[in-house]
Amino acid sequence: MAKIIVVTSGKGGVGKTTSAAAIATGLALRGNKTVVIDFDVGLRNLDLIMGCERRVVYDLVNVIQGEAGLNQALIRDKRVDNLHILPASQTRDKDALTQEGVEKVLDTLSSDFDFIICDSPAGIERGAQLAMYFADEAIVVTNPEVSSVRDSDRILGLLSSKTRRAERGDDPIREHLLITRYNPGRVDRGDMLNLEDIREILAINLVGLIPESEAVLRASNQGVPVTHDADSDAGKAYVDTVSRLLDEEVPLRFHEFQKKGLLSRMFGGGRR
Amino acid sequence: MSLKVDRDSMAFTFKGGMLPMTVMELSSADPERIREQLAGKLSQSPAFFQHTPVVLSVEKVDEPHLALERICAVCRAHKLLPVAVRGGADPVKQSAWALGLGWFPPQEEARARTLESVPPVEAEPQSDDVEVEALEAAPAPGGRIFRGTVRSGQQVTAPDGDLVVVGSVNAGAELLAAGNVHVYGALRGRALAGIHGDHKAGIFCRELRAELLSVAGNYKRLEDIDPQLLGGSVQVALEDDQLCIKPLA
Repeated sequence: MAKIIVVTSGKGGVGKTTSAAAIATGLALRGNKTVVIDFDVGLRNLDLIMGCERRVVYDLVNVIQGEAGLNQALIRDKRVDNLHILPASQTRDKDALTQEGVEKVLDTLSSDFDFIICDSPAGIERGAQLAMYFADEAIVVTNPEVSSVRDSDRILGLLSSKTRRAERGDDPIREHLLITRYNPGRVDRGDMLNLEDIREILAINLVGLIPESEAVLRASNQGVPVTHDADSDAGKAYVDTVSRLLDEEVPLRFHEFQKKGLLSRMFGGGRR
Repeated sequence: MSLKVDRDSMAFTFKGGMLPMTVMELSSADPERIREQLAGKLSQSPAFFQHTPVVLSVEKVDEPHLALERICAVCRAHKLLPVAVRGGADPVKQSAWALGLGWFPPQEEARARTLESVPPVEAEPQSDDVEVEALEAAPAPGGRIFRGTVRSGQQVTAPDGDLVVVGSVNAGAELLAAGNVHVYGALRGRALAGIHGDHKAGIFCRELRAELLSVAGNYKRLEDIDPQLLGGSVQVALEDDQLCIKPLA
């Protein structure tokens, strides 16, 4: 039985798809058979981030509507063997998804995979609710700013009421906080919310902290999940995040402001 | 010329207020039928009929002309004081004004609820995701204890008693209680105590950051709260119809 993890946030543009791709890649690199599903029907992005946009033939909606088999729609990742991608449809809208259809797809995948990562669309409407409905765990992606924190709070409320686990009265979904675009320098200057404030408001377990990094933008544009960029801060931070998801204890890093020394200022050694 | 007005020289000030008000929703405009029903009610609960102000709602009466004067007379004979009319066509509005009554536009259908037919212990599911859970330990009959964080968009109600939250209440969340509201954590959302008009109700919290505090309809917004009180443990109560916030010593 696979573990179903939804990557969600409420607010758009906080790094859901980047994180879903990076975490799925990290889990697969650790030897777990992993599939990552794009639930953002109509605004397909995951295929670009994963670098498989030229290989998309069938998509999630085709599978749900019986126009293609699951194996026809699944795309095998070029870099990691046990990683698969199930893309969204770009031409349909979110009403094309049905709860029964999604359940059937997840049930079928569940017997073949260790992890199913659901990349949720922004918002709290149908698409987002379907992405979270069957989840066992949730990664709530939050930027260090007040609007993102409030939207994450709203999503946490929905996770505890509008999911199958909540409706059946099963064990609640395990909720994880993933803070992205964290810039310790700007936090220090008071431009951004600090880590402790976010943790205090959202009151859930912190699974990772991804520093703001040029490596993320580069990775997105090249279609290579940032986890592969093992020398970058962001890549290391996602590797740490994956370890914590697998219940390992890893100390937090990249959350403190390091003043640049004279040498690094002279030679321009910045964060990669 | 100065626009500054000396406060002592003013005869009055206008203030917004939300007062508890009984709405009498008419399903018939026949004064005789109203008289019969009122007579029955009067014998059941005489305490209610002590010149109680009521708003006559005629939204469900599908008649352009009403015997408004006779209906008002019947009400007054049973010690109810009609103060305004809600809904109805233009002639109804005109005759309400002629009788010295106020007129309100009709209320949205969805928001109206029947006061009388609500069973006393049932919670009202108002928000899309109210977490109505069984009481773990009832502090008093009708009271409620909520454990955990009340999150943005959630509404937790205790329609018949005190509400205790063991945790924080985040911005965009709302607490409603007929009695007191206690928050053992940070209160960043809205807290409304005494929602049925109990002036003795209060609000207590460990860390005040509330968007809105209200006791029996008298409210203060975050902007109106003395900044020095923010972040502290406080108690909120009504004193002479004024909302007073004091630190918990």
